[in-house]
This record gives sequence, structure tokens and C-alpha cells, in this order.
Amino acid sequence: MAIAIEATRPHHSLWGDAIIRLKRNRFAVAGAIIIFLITMLAFLVSVFSPYRFDQQDLNAILQGPSKAHPFGTDDLGRDVLTRLLYGARTSLAVGIFAQFIVLIIGIPIGAFSASASSRVDNFIMRFVDVIYAFPDILFIILIRSILGGSIYMMFLAIGLVAWVNVARLIRGQVLFQKQRDFVIAARAMGASERYITIKHLIPNSLGPVIVAVTFNIPRAIFAEAALSYIGIGIKPPTPSWGTMIRDGYDVIFAAPYLVLFPAVAIGMLMLSFTFLGDGLRDALDPRLRR
Amino acid sequence: MESLLAVDNLSTHFYTQDGLVKAVNGVSYRVAKGETIALVGESGCGKTVSALSILRLVHEPPGKIVAGSVTFEDVDLLKVSNSEMRRVRGAKIAMVFQEPMTSLNPVLTIGRQVSETLELHQHMGRQAALREAIKLLGMVGIPQAEHRVKDYPHHFSGGMRQRVMIAMAIACHPRLLIADEPTTALDATIQAQLLELIKTLTRELGTSVILITHNLGIVARYAQRVYVMYAGRIIEHGPAQMIYDKPRHPYTVGLLASVPRLDESRKTRLMSIKGQPPDLIYPPPGCAFKPRCSYGTQCQDESLDLVEVAPGHYCSCQLAPQRKQ
Amino acid sequence: MLWLIPVLFVVAFITFSLMHLVPGGPWDQEKQLAPQVVENLNRKYNLDKPFIVQFGNFLWNAVRGDLGVSYSYQDKGVTQILLSGLPKTAGLGVTAFLIAIIIGIPLGIAAALKQNSTVDYISVFFSTLFANIPGFVIGILFIILFSVTLHVLPTGGWGSIKQVIMPAVALAALPAAYIARVTRASMLEVKHQDYIRTAQAKGLASRVIIIRHMLRNALIPVMTIAGPELAALVTGSFIIESLFSIPGIGRLFVQGVFARDYGLIMGTILFYAFAVALVNLIVDILYAVVDPRIRYE
Repeated sequence: MAIAIEATRPHHSLWGDAIIRLKRNRFAVAGAIIIFLITMLAFLVSVFSPYRFDQQDLNAILQGPSKAHPFGTDDLGRDVLTRLLYGARTSLAVGIFAQFIVLIIGIPIGAFSASASSRVDNFIMRFVDVIYAFPDILFIILIRSILGGSIYMMFLAIGLVAWVNVARLIRGQVLFQKQRDFVIAARAMGASERYITIKHLIPNSLGPVIVAVTFNIPRAIFAEAALSYIGIGIKPPTPSWGTMIRDGYDVIFAAPYLVLFPAVAIGMLMLSFTFLGDGLRDALDPRLRR
Repeated sequence: MESLLAVDNLSTHFYTQDGLVKAVNGVSYRVAKGETIALVGESGCGKTVSALSILRLVHEPPGKIVAGSVTFEDVDLLKVSNSEMRRVRGAKIAMVFQEPMTSLNPVLTIGRQVSETLELHQHMGRQAALREAIKLLGMVGIPQAEHRVKDYPHHFSGGMRQRVMIAMAIACHPRLLIADEPTTALDATIQAQLLELIKTLTRELGTSVILITHNLGIVARYAQRVYVMYAGRIIEHGPAQMIYDKPRHPYTVGLLASVPRLDESRKTRLMSIKGQPPDLIYPPPGCAFKPRCSYGTQCQDESLDLVEVAPGHYCSCQLAPQRKQ
Repeated sequence: MLWLIPVLFVVAFITFSLMHLVPGGPWDQEKQLAPQVVENLNRKYNLDKPFIVQFGNFLWNAVRGDLGVSYSYQDKGVTQILLSGLPKTAGLGVTAFLIAIIIGIPLGIAAALKQNSTVDYISVFFSTLFANIPGFVIGILFIILFSVTLHVLPTGGWGSIKQVIMPAVALAALPAAYIARVTRASMLEVKHQDYIRTAQAKGLASRVIIIRHMLRNALIPVMTIAGPELAALVTGSFIIESLFSIPGIGRLFVQGVFARDYGLIMGTILFYAFAVALVNLIVDILYAVVDPRIRYE
């Protein structure tokens, strides 16, 4: 006789289950740890660093890593490690705050498009397709060159181009959720369309949006670094990894570390967010729930 | 009888995440020259796996042929080299699969798919092979074969695609054709046509056939002998007529009883065998059918040897000889 | 494919509008010019005409191949400037694309055929790593390694193989990783299809099955991403061009942005949009050639 074993599993909510699965993904965990460490260090640099990021010491120009300056000094005698961590602030700020713009623009447009008539929806989606088809970094450069140099404008420039992903995603999700049973039930109970959209559809669509945003962050970080490298990014003296590369490139043969550290930092931070995003995507995929 | 193919004690197991699946568990059958046998059973009983094992087409992980022998023309196929095996496949033993919609390569013309067998096994040149392919397509009933030979699979219906598969299979005049549920995925009318086609062609060519099916309705007309499989084992076999007239194993009885018949009144309930097929990961010792057997559980015997209940008719149910029919 | 025409139109319109939203004209940058001079310049370049007229003129000229004038290089038209940079950018982009394919596809195929072997793990590791690190960073690492430390390769310029290799490989890394991943996934899926089992049952040798039956099917999804990847290569190369001092369109664009040279900026963006559209068109055609199922649609 075949023995049937009835296994009982503890019941998890979608989020609880997701966290458990996420913890199992070693790359995602590593990424999250690195992000956390960099963020903490960036926050606390003003506390434990003996230098200010713009503090020049013309007696200590272009020194390699030493006890006094663990990552060396640049051509104006500024401590590289300190500048690197302040640069982390810039990168993280741009990466994360640009996403607010993305969400503020993307979610309403996506939700609206999904709830609107099909002609309006089509029109909006064509428009989105156009922006999507075009290389985003060029647009960002264009917008940036118009809007000017402050960091807030940087958020705006990146956000104005990156919202399309989220809008599309939300629209797809809303359209999908709209025909699910609990929505029909809510409607039958007399709820208005707007109520349904806000209280039911959007929260249920959050999963993919979180993943999309997590993937957007490294792209924003890269955009900022690239723009700063070209020269239309963050204005000095605010440190930015891109600017550090630009400045350090002139003396690359004498002091390659000036370029190496920021480049590696960019790569590591981007990679960490991507691993985290991969992990989140797998963790939040309802089809993989066991 | 002199057999063309003799499968002896074949066992094929699958090593899966959930456990060891004994898909084929000591199966034996024989096919004589020119004979058509039917291999019958529910889905999942192991009949397809046994056929794939003959051609050694079982995916090596997770599957593995762990025991037994497959003797074809006096050679044990399980022991020959890979290149030897490739010479047998398609040329001496050919197979037609169940799903015509996915069994043909979508990016190659059907002409190419038929002719490549000819080029490979009969060393024909491209043009000659194509001409022969056109002839074969005509033989299986594809109209305007000389034009259709340049078409792709998606231009054909399911029934047509299966005809193409048959053409591919008989192209090199194999001694044995294995037809794995060739008509299950098709309409009833097409089913009849295709089975007739297989019967005609194989009779013409003198090809032996292993017809794998779960549909007892078609077996009687096309097979001389029948093997009934359950949970990875053969539980009854014999001449088709005898199996139909006097089935001895309770499972076979149940199978036959559940075939709807035209001569019964409409109001007669459709019979089905109660219960589910067993989990092949934890096969029960002894008779696997016991939990579903409607003859009660008087049998304590765990032996599974096939007992001859009539000349040429064997059954593994130990109580069969004593039962009155 | 035809929807690309409105795309170009909208892109041109957006860019044009953005340019005209900027307070002050293109003349603010360098020196303070006398109002009379500014007025004359504006008239010369038709900047005093209404927006619609300017836009119309621009489009009309663009269609005939004249992308306007550059405000910084006053003796050359934008088209001419772009054409001078085109060979370098195209050369870089195509070279990088070829490298990406030559590395990515075989790697993906090998990984799929020998699942869970060493090759597979290397391939997955490689794909994950390089798919997420920008070519910019890789380029910098290359420069530090090969130019600064080992002194075997020059840091920039264009012309010799030694100058091409670093930027091309740096640019190719991301697409190669992505292509490898897609190829692997696609091959794995094809490997388990029924028609492969049919091919085996016919007695065909593995090599024949892989080449004749698997590859064409597996490469179809790869082609759908190849197009956008190539387009991205062509347009995204500007940062590599800046890094390696390659006088291509990308670098010209960057300089144009810096100099507020709106003529050049407009022309370049339109040119990029056109290049993207063209590449996608070519890929669509190739796709129909490879997959007979979509031919008669």
C-alpha cells in the first residue's frame, strides 16, 4: 500500500514567504550586505573621517595608499577614501531619489492608462513605446543639458526618462488584476473604480514594481557617473565617482588608483543592486511559491 | 515462435528529486516477424518508457536502464555501441510518436525531414532522397506530394503531420515499427484512417508493429497479440481474441468493461475502475492492483509470475486459474 | 516596422521642443555678443521664425539628408560632421557586436549541452558578472591593467588594432554576457522538445542534431534580442568613445552638448534614432528569413 504522507507547511504571507526565499539566495544576500555597508559608511563618514571631502593638503599630493590615507590622495591632496564615501552618498542619493520621480510619474500614468478607454490606453502606450525605443542615456543628457546642474535636476532628468518601465509594468499588472475575482467581488459590493484601483489593484502590483525599481537604481547610478565623467554631471566640489574618474584620468599613469577605486566602487554597487534585484524577482514570483 | 524482438526482464528507473521511480519493472514481451502486438495500459503505466528503452532514447539522467535485455535479430541492443545503435534507429527499428504537433521540426521542410533518413541510412544523394520522399508522402496519403514536400510542418493539420511521421518511419523499410499512441491526439475519424494506413503499409512491407495504446477499442482490430501493463509490469498477455473473450486479470476485466459499447443501452452506466494508479515511487510489494481489485482481497500470494491460464494466454493474477468466468 | 516613422517624428519633435525651451539662445555660451550681432545671427540661422516654421524647415531638410548646421563648427554642416565620425562609431559598434556574438553564442551553446558541468558554471558566472557591470568600468579596468601596468596597449585613439581591441572588448562584454544567457536558456528549451527526440529516433548523429535541428530553433530568440543589442551598442558607445578618445559620433555628441551646439545635438539625436530604427528593421527581416512560421504574415 502506498503510504500517503500529508505534509503540513506553515502558512506564510506573500511577503513573509518572499523574505525567506530571498534569504536563501546567497548572491542577493551578499548584494544586500554590500549595499548596507556602503550606505552606513557613506552616512557615517563625516563622523569618523578626520578629513573633509574638500580638504586640500598640498604637501601630500598624489600619494599612494598609506596609513594616513588608506586609499591615497588626489592631485590636490584630498583624501581619496573620504571623497569616495561622499561620492557614495551622491550615487546612492541619485540612484534612490530618482526612483521617487519614476514612481510619481510612472504609477499614475500606468494606472490611468489601464483604467482608461482603449483608445486613450493605446495612445499612451505608443508614446511610451517611443520613449522606450530610444536610448535613454541620450535623452537624459539632453534633458540635463537643458535643466541645469543641480543634483535635484539630476534626479528629475533621470526620472523623466526611466518612468516608462514602471508605467508599462503597472498598466500590465492593473489590467491583469482587474479581471480577478476579488476585484469583481469588490465591484459587486459597490466600490468605485478609483477606490478599487487605489486599495486593491496597486498594492497587488507592488511586487514587480519593487523589482523594477531595484533594477532601475544601478542604471541611475551609472547614468549619474557617466554624465559626471563627461562633465555635465554633479558640479564640484561635491564629490561624485564619475567626476573623480574624470579628474583622476589626467594622472592615470602616475596614480592609477585615483581612477581604479571609483571605477570598482561603481561596478560593485551596481552589481550588488542587480543581485538583490534578481533575488527579489525570484522571491516575489508567485509561481515559485512552494 | 521465432521472434524478431525479444524484450526480457527490462527494468528502467528514473532518479528524481522525489525519489526513485520504477517506471518499467521487469517487463518482457516478444514480437514475431510480421506480427502486430499491442501494448495496453493506462497513462503512466510505463508502456512508452519500455518502448523508448528499446531504442535507448531514455534521457540518461534522470533515467537509466538498470536490468534486462532487448534482443533484436540475435543482438542485445542494450549492449551495443552508440554508433551501432544509431544504425538501428530509423533504419531497422523506427518509431512514431504521440504528439504530431510538436514532433516535427518547425524550421525544416517536411521533405527535408523525410529525406534526411534516406540520406543517412540508404546513402542516397539529395535529389534521389527527395524523389523517394515524394513517393513516400504519396504512399501515406498526402495529396500533391510533389508540391507539399517544400512545405513546413505548420502548413499541415495534426492528422497530416502524423502521416508525415509515418512516412519518415517507414522510409527505410524498418523491420519493426513502434507506434506510441499514434492516434491519441487526433479525432476519431482520423484515428481510424491512420490505423488503417499503418496496417496496410506494414502488411505490405512485412514490418512488425508494437502498437502502444490505452484505447482497447482499437486493439482488437489491429493486433494479433496483446500485452496488458499495469504499474510498470505486464499483468496479462495472450492472443487478442482470447484477451477480449476471456480476460482473466481483474484489471483487464475492468478495462474492457469500461469501454463504452454501441450495443449497450444508453442508460447503462459507464463503468470505471475505482481508485488511482499507484505511485511508482513506492510501488507496493506484490500485486499492485490489489487496492482497486473488485474481486476482494482473498489473495495473499505476493508472487507475480505469469501463470498460463489457457494455451498462450498468461496472467499474473494468482487467483485467475481458480476463477470462473 | 512602419511605426518607426512616427517614432522618428516624435523624437525629432521632442528634441526640437526641448532645445527651444532653453532660456536664452545658443549664443550665450562663449562671449557676450552685442545685441545686433545676436539678431543677425538669429536671422541667419532662421531662429527668429515661428517655432512651427523652424521645425518644418528642419524636418524638410532632414529628410533630404541635411541635418542642419553646427553652431560651433561654423564651416561644416551637421551631416558632414556626423559622417566623419560615422566610420569610427560604426566600426567600433560592429566589431563589438561580432565579438559579443563570437563569445556569447558558443558559450551559451556549450553551457546548455553540458549542463551543470564546469563549462556551464563558468558561463553562468561570466554572464551574471558582465551583464551588470557597465562597459565603462570594464574599459577603465582594462586601461589600468593593459596600458598603465603592463604597457602593452595604448590608452586611446583610433586606427590600429591595438587601439581597437580594448574599447571593442569593453563594449562587447555586456552584450556577450546577455547573449550567452539567452542562448543557453534557449538551447536548453530546444533540447527538450519532442522534435529532437524524433530526430534521435531516426538515428541521426548528435552533431547533426545539434547543428541542423537545434541551432536554428535556438537562435530565433537570440535574434530577437540581437537587434536591440546592436542598436544599444551603436548608441551607447559614446561613453566608451569618450573614455578612449575615439573621434566618433558619440564623442562629437558629447562635445556638442557641452558646447550647447543645438544644431549638432539635434542632428545627432535624429541620426541615432534613425540608426536604431534601421537596425531593428534589418533584424526583423532576418528574423523572417530564419523562422518560416512568420513568413507569410
